[in-house]
Amino acid sequence: MQTDNKRFPDWLWYALLCIFWWGLWGFLSKIGSVAASPLQMQILFTLGMLPVAGGMLLHMRGKLDRDRVGISYGLLSGIATGLGTLGYFAALREQDASVVTPLTGVFPILTVALAFVVLRERLNKVQMGGMLLALASIVILST
Amino acid sequence: MHWMIYAAVAIVLWGVNGLFMKLGTNRVSARSMVIWVTAGFVVLLPWMWRLTGLAGLSTRVILVGLIAGAVNGLGNWAVFACLEKGAKASVAIPLTALYPLCTVALATAFLKERPTALQWIGIALAVAAGAMLSYEPEPATAPKEQLSCVR
Repeated sequence: MQTDNKRFPDWLWYALLCIFWWGLWGFLSKIGSVAASPLQMQILFTLGMLPVAGGMLLHMRGKLDRDRVGISYGLLSGIATGLGTLGYFAALREQDASVVTPLTGVFPILTVALAFVVLRERLNKVQMGGMLLALASIVILST
Repeated sequence: MHWMIYAAVAIVLWGVNGLFMKLGTNRVSARSMVIWVTAGFVVLLPWMWRLTGLAGLSTRVILVGLIAGAVNGLGNWAVFACLEKGAKASVAIPLTALYPLCTVALATAFLKERPTALQWIGIALAVAAGAMLSYEPEPATAPKEQLSCVR
């Protein structure tokens, strides 16, 4: 769908909506983490996500790919993400959301590094710059 | 333990997740991947439930946790909608990686968080880094594959 001729294209609304939803997630995670343990938060987080995932599944109208290797990576991905989120919730118990959320947002630094080492993907210059900024931010925010 | 160690656990595991996403989306569509990743969350549920329960939590906290999960899922949905409305992945993915800005705005406005001057510098660098690290030039299809189920 070509909508780029509009001053404010539709896709940009959705991008901003995404920023809002994920940003709100960080905010609510902080509020929840003050009272609930990371495990409890992850249980609630998973249960809350299920209806949305169910809606997406319905919207796909049975076009769910069932390649066995793909499914294995998906499940591994969910397990890794879920365990990582426990760390995120634990960090939020002790530190402000305005510090923790930007910091954990640099996680692609490892993806980029692993893709370089394991998949032999090339790093572009923007990503290299991002790595330097990420390392600087880690040093600054850990003090 | 220092909060930074917990944050490092998140960075490492979410970073590894990104690699699994890349490998997985070579085999299945990104949309399918989101469903299977959610199934991965569900796999963890019995283990987590055995270690803890929801006893003692107020209704308010339970609601906050549930809504947190729902809005994260809605964020995933918005990324797909964005790409389907004609966004270039090389623009849209780094743009959506700016989401911590929204968290910072909400947390400073409603939770009265007050980062120090040095922390503001770190926050700015981290947000810029998140967006830059997510950048993959067109016409590679790889950026779509970077979609993560969380954050």
